[in-house]
Amino acid sequence: MDDRPHKAHRPSQSGAKAEKKKGKEKQQNSFNEKAFAPKSGRRAERQGRRKVEKDQTRLHVPLVNRTPDDEPPPVIVAIVGPPGVGKTTLLKSLVRRYTKQTLSEAKGPITVVAGKKRRLTFVECNNDLNSMIDIGKIVDLVLLMIDGSFGFEMESFEFLNVLQSHGFPKVIGILTHLDLIKKAATLRDTKKALKKRFWTEIYQGAKLFYLSGVLNGRYPDTEILNLSRFVSVMKFRPLVFRNTHPYLLADRLEDLTPRELIRTSKGKCDRTVTVYGYIHGTNLRLGTKVHIPGVGDLDVKSIAKLGDPCPLPDMNSEKRRKLSEKKKLLVHAPMSDVGGVVYDKDAVYVNVPGSFTRGNADVPQGEGERMVMDLQDVNSTLEDAVARSSIKLFGSSSNALVVEDNTGHGEHEHEQHSNDGDEDDGDDADSIISEDEAFSEDEEMEDDESGPSPGTSAHTGRSQRRQPTRVLPSIGKSSKRDIEYAESDSEFEYNEGDDYKRVRFDETDNHIPSDEDDDDDDEQDADNDEDLPKWKRNISHLLESSSSQRPRRRDWTKLIYSSDLTPAQILSSNKEEDSRESEEISTEIDEFFHVKKSDSTNDDETLDQTKDPLNPRALQQWEDEEMLDSIRNLFITGASGDADEESEGDAEGASFEDLESGPVDTTNEKSRADALAAKKAELKRKFDEQYDEPSSSNVDFYTEKKDEMARQLELNRAEFAAIEDPETRALVEGYAPGAYVRIELGDVPCELVNHFDPTYPIIVGGLLAAEERFGFVQVRIKRHRWYTRTLKTNDPLIFSLGWRRFQTVPIYSLDDHSIRMRMLKYTPEHMHCYGTFYGPVTLPNIGFCAFNTLTSDAPGFRVAATGVVLDIDRSVKIVKKLKLTGVPLKIFKNTAFIKDMFSSALEVAKFEGANIRTVSGIRGQVKKALPKPDGAFRATFEDKVLMSDIVFLRAWYSIEPRKFYNPVTSLLLSDKNQWSGMRLTGQVRRDEGQKTPLNVNSTYKRIERPERRFNPLKIPAKLQSALPYASKPKLMKAQSRQTYMQKRAVVMEPEEKKAVALMQQIRALRKDQVARRKEKKSERREAQRKKTEKEEAKQLEKDKEKRKEHMRAAGQKSKREAEAEEGRGSKRRKT
Amino acid sequence: MTLPSSLIQFSGHHYIRHRLVLSILSGKPIRIDKIRPDDKNPGLRDYEISLLRILEKATNGTVIEISVTGTALLLKPGIISGGTLTHECPLSRSVGYFLDPLIMLAPFAKKPFQLTLRGITTDDHDLSVDLIRTVTLPHLQLFGISDGLELRIKKRGSPPAGGGEVHFLCPIVKQVTTLNFIEPGKIKRIRGIAHAVRVSPQFSNRMIEASRSVLNRYIPDIYLYSDVYKGEDSGKSPGYALSLLAESTTSAIYCAEATSQPGVAPEDVALLATRSLLAEISKGGCVDERHQTLVLLMMVLGSEDVGRCRMGEPTLRTIQFLRDVHSLFGTTFKIVPAESSGSSNQLMYSCYGTGYVNVNRSLA
Repeated sequence: MDDRPHKAHRPSQSGAKAEKKKGKEKQQNSFNEKAFAPKSGRRAERQGRRKVEKDQTRLHVPLVNRTPDDEPPPVIVAIVGPPGVGKTTLLKSLVRRYTKQTLSEAKGPITVVAGKKRRLTFVECNNDLNSMIDIGKIVDLVLLMIDGSFGFEMESFEFLNVLQSHGFPKVIGILTHLDLIKKAATLRDTKKALKKRFWTEIYQGAKLFYLSGVLNGRYPDTEILNLSRFVSVMKFRPLVFRNTHPYLLADRLEDLTPRELIRTSKGKCDRTVTVYGYIHGTNLRLGTKVHIPGVGDLDVKSIAKLGDPCPLPDMNSEKRRKLSEKKKLLVHAPMSDVGGVVYDKDAVYVNVPGSFTRGNADVPQGEGERMVMDLQDVNSTLEDAVARSSIKLFGSSSNALVVEDNTGHGEHEHEQHSNDGDEDDGDDADSIISEDEAFSEDEEMEDDESGPSPGTSAHTGRSQRRQPTRVLPSIGKSSKRDIEYAESDSEFEYNEGDDYKRVRFDETDNHIPSDEDDDDDDEQDADNDEDLPKWKRNISHLLESSSSQRPRRRDWTKLIYSSDLTPAQILSSNKEEDSRESEEISTEIDEFFHVKKSDSTNDDETLDQTKDPLNPRALQQWEDEEMLDSIRNLFITGASGDADEESEGDAEGASFEDLESGPVDTTNEKSRADALAAKKAELKRKFDEQYDEPSSSNVDFYTEKKDEMARQLELNRAEFAAIEDPETRALVEGYAPGAYVRIELGDVPCELVNHFDPTYPIIVGGLLAAEERFGFVQVRIKRHRWYTRTLKTNDPLIFSLGWRRFQTVPIYSLDDHSIRMRMLKYTPEHMHCYGTFYGPVTLPNIGFCAFNTLTSDAPGFRVAATGVVLDIDRSVKIVKKLKLTGVPLKIFKNTAFIKDMFSSALEVAKFEGANIRTVSGIRGQVKKALPKPDGAFRATFEDKVLMSDIVFLRAWYSIEPRKFYNPVTSLLLSDKNQWSGMRLTGQVRRDEGQKTPLNVNSTYKRIERPERRFNPLKIPAKLQSALPYASKPKLMKAQSRQTYMQKRAVVMEPEEKKAVALMQQIRALRKDQVARRKEKKSERREAQRKKTEKEEAKQLEKDKEKRKEHMRAAGQKSKREAEAEEGRGSKRRKT
Repeated sequence: MTLPSSLIQFSGHHYIRHRLVLSILSGKPIRIDKIRPDDKNPGLRDYEISLLRILEKATNGTVIEISVTGTALLLKPGIISGGTLTHECPLSRSVGYFLDPLIMLAPFAKKPFQLTLRGITTDDHDLSVDLIRTVTLPHLQLFGISDGLELRIKKRGSPPAGGGEVHFLCPIVKQVTTLNFIEPGKIKRIRGIAHAVRVSPQFSNRMIEASRSVLNRYIPDIYLYSDVYKGEDSGKSPGYALSLLAESTTSAIYCAEATSQPGVAPEDVALLATRSLLAEISKGGCVDERHQTLVLLMMVLGSEDVGRCRMGEPTLRTIQFLRDVHSLFGTTFKIVPAESSGSSNQLMYSCYGTGYVNVNRSLA
């Protein structure tokens, strides 16, 4: 019985128990509130504090990010590092990772699609300091490459300092060549040491990647994948300078100068150049000047937005979460020649390697070549193809579409029209409008037209589509009708000259001949040439009739910005309309307008006034009670017709309103519903505002600011989104960041094209209006602590400030007690000082760095100083101290004659009343010039001066920086890192082989100071006796006689004698002991000295060994580089 | 050495004030020629010369060259320095003529403006100092220029002899804020200042009464002050005027004023002012015609965001101003009929600010 197994417990599957259990289980899984509750008050307090701290770390100064979120420009990723560190390898690996293509030659910017919302532009930065500066100004993410087997190099530190002064972008460090360190322990130590150094340079915890060896000319795929993941999730904080300037990294440069001009000028003429790239920063407006660092300020001739060569996947092309393989293949690198096809605004260039012959099938063909060959295969033109095919627009239509040649003028065309009209049946003509003007342009307008004049409804024979390219910028489409004289003229011109194919229906034109008959209707068809003169003759008539027939909406933007009418004309035409409208209303007002007209003829002189003169007669209408009552609704007390103002929500008001608005809106049900919905939304908003106040007021300042910015950005996006004409839109808001544009630049120095090198980045930075000007710039400057020399006033210095790099001569100064700006000859050690130089205006609070030289052969650290711009002015107030010295000529009591300070009486006169001082500190004043020795003068002092005193006058001499501005035009050189500007004096002397001039008076000599003897002070006896005791001289002669204590004799008792003798003995013993001890000590010391000497020698040996080891490693590295260079051609230059 | 900045040409003596202002703000040199070439008194007038003088005083490094005949003018603008300035305005124009351009410049100076102007304070051609104080300066507050913005009327001066004095204090800003003003609101209060100098003090009370007779029907919140200046402070000539302003719930301000004419009763002057105020109110919009250029300029100088403002149709000055802004700043306004404006011809002006930053402001 016992061995029978017990029945296993079966939990009940249904019933009350099961329900209960289910509930319990659920409870267990849910969040337990008590689990994270603090157990003690102290802990609760600590947790609270931590939470607040965490909240605070989230906060930053709210900055507007002007880069659009929906279509951002590609993130610029620069790969920077010393030569031979593996930059190109990394670039190729990354491009391979994103596009599955292996670039043979990676030059210039390479844009790839990295994700659904992110594109990356990779650019490799060469070792030239100019390139590093330029790249540092635009880069979003730096991949800073460090040779792990060697350590940091000077260029890396220089680059980091450049970055720091131009707003610090994100930096990821990458350690390479780690496979060269064989020992694991050494590798670990190296990594640790380099990481520590890197962290101190960037910030604690900065990301550092480790790349091991190279496989198949690339870094290992897993490591690159990890790196790319880091890059793809990186967030970027807007940097102030970049968020206020538009800029682009040119990925293409084309020379548009006519070849003939180049030939005749032997390539020396200024060029017209186009650059291409994605806009970053802010909107690029029309009319802004641009600066290309290394070239100079250039005028933008035109900007055109091009199709995105490397588009982000949009909703249509990509519905999946991940990027498809097809998108992954997109790479845009015009300078690297991927695929060999280049798309311009109106042309496609195909680059063919070597010779290209058709039929050579064994040669692999690129995309471009295939395209050309396909084109060659085509035997018939597009026209023929269309003609052959019979396209029917509708299944029911009897005739097919016909291609018609339109090269002839309007006359010819017109004939054709009438012929067509004769031929066709003329029954179903009006029903179909294919490419009619009215149809293609504006349906609403068509409606307008067809209402008043029955003739126009039939007139649908316009078969030529109007070209939108030359249409004047306009906002509302409906405004097309308000064509003014000048404007319509231009359209005529255009349509006369054009010739293109068009497609139209055969049987549309029925009533074409009737055109001319009723052309004094509001017929403004710009097609018919014959109408032109007549139309023009009748223009006033036309205007009148049209205005009387329908309400006009004027396109103010067009009238103001693109018509030649004077303001008065614009307004008067408006007035005319008004007057015509009001003519019917009242005759009184008509009278007023007559008066006004007569006024306007002779008020030539009083135009520049703010107030228009009051016209009592015009204001007479306000005597009328009705008129007075008519504006009651504009006051808060008045009842309103507006829906949104009646927010009280009481039933009475609402019903009243409905009653009022009912009859007006019955015609349009839909609009009423819309209005109702809008009203409801408004009411809801008001309600929310009123009752949700406590929660919304809870929002802190930070969130509030963020919301405000978001709202404004939303408004920025929405406001001009309605403008469909891209030209008008560009006119109003410029080209938004993320657009791929082509910028045409005029008067570009030919050297830019002749010495173009794709490895040097070309940056196009937009300038603000203020930045085109020049002035004195005051900066706060500090010599870099790694720069070994001090900086001297009036020595040339190369600044990298804003977009520009330029050489100028600064004057250093310090604020002297807030009284004056005092010139400093040299920059102080470890301290900021002011610097003032002549240069381009830059907004205050923008950082800069300065260099003495940019060439790579300069030894040591090249960043000479860093700082920030403080002030811009047209004049400076820097003074330097000037001391004039003189000596007394003759001394009276407190008056003295001083000579040798000035050379003429005139100079003295200039300084009358000036404060002077002696070296001993006696103050005085210049009084008047003396006649005799020229330049001598009388001066008074607060005390009697001595003949040996030097009198000096301290004055301040104001100085101004030299107006020297020399842009660094490194991109124009054939050897781009050999730019040399103004040299230092010492450099010039060295180059010219001159010695430093030695002024004899300036040499330092030994200063001989003869001992001065002062006579003893003698006080007359009479005076002495009159003095009080305290003031009497108390010097007494030394005592000549011996005192009692000195002359007494001492006789000792025997006891005393004994004691004295004992003491003497003890002292003698002690002396001996001390002497012996000393001897021993010196012996010991000698031994110790010998021992340490021995050890030091050993250490020296060790050090020597170590140094040897280090040098060997360095030697190996350079050897390896040399080998690599030989092996992989000349793409990596060792400088 | 210096890059050749593009010189911009204008002709005619019209709109000279805002052209000078735009040139100084944008930093682009301008040349104005054909200044009254056919007049029997050709060239610049004394008040224009005086304006150039004060602009030169208020700036640092400005070069103004006037041709021998006075019919051409070249302005190479410097920086706006501001600071303490005193200027005697000629009696041909009132103080308002000079204050108008200076108000546009003052927020962008290096040091806060402390300007003393002497001359005529109220006349028929330009805004009186009362309106500048009560209407123009509040318009600047829309753009974040408020702390320390003040116009003190020390003495009044009527034409022809003048003798008035005003102190204008203006703070400097780094950047003006973006305007978004599309709701005109409804009139909630009416204020007014009536002043009468060197005539019977009863005149101002009579004007107030006449004006109230019309305005009382609309709202109760009407305060019309009688501003009294006595003795030395009342200037050298007799005169009286009434300036009125109506403020809406969204602080849109409409204003009007009328000044004394010989042989016109104060009641009639008051009625004229009142009626022109009503005319202004009926025109609607968020900004009245006289302040269109000021508001549009500040919108252009705003941060790189879209600013919007609802106004009436542009005046002559405004149209030319918009064109000049386009040539000097490159900014184009989008001007469309305001939605929900109905039959009234109100327009919505919107533009993308240039992101103008006060370069002159020093950091140290």
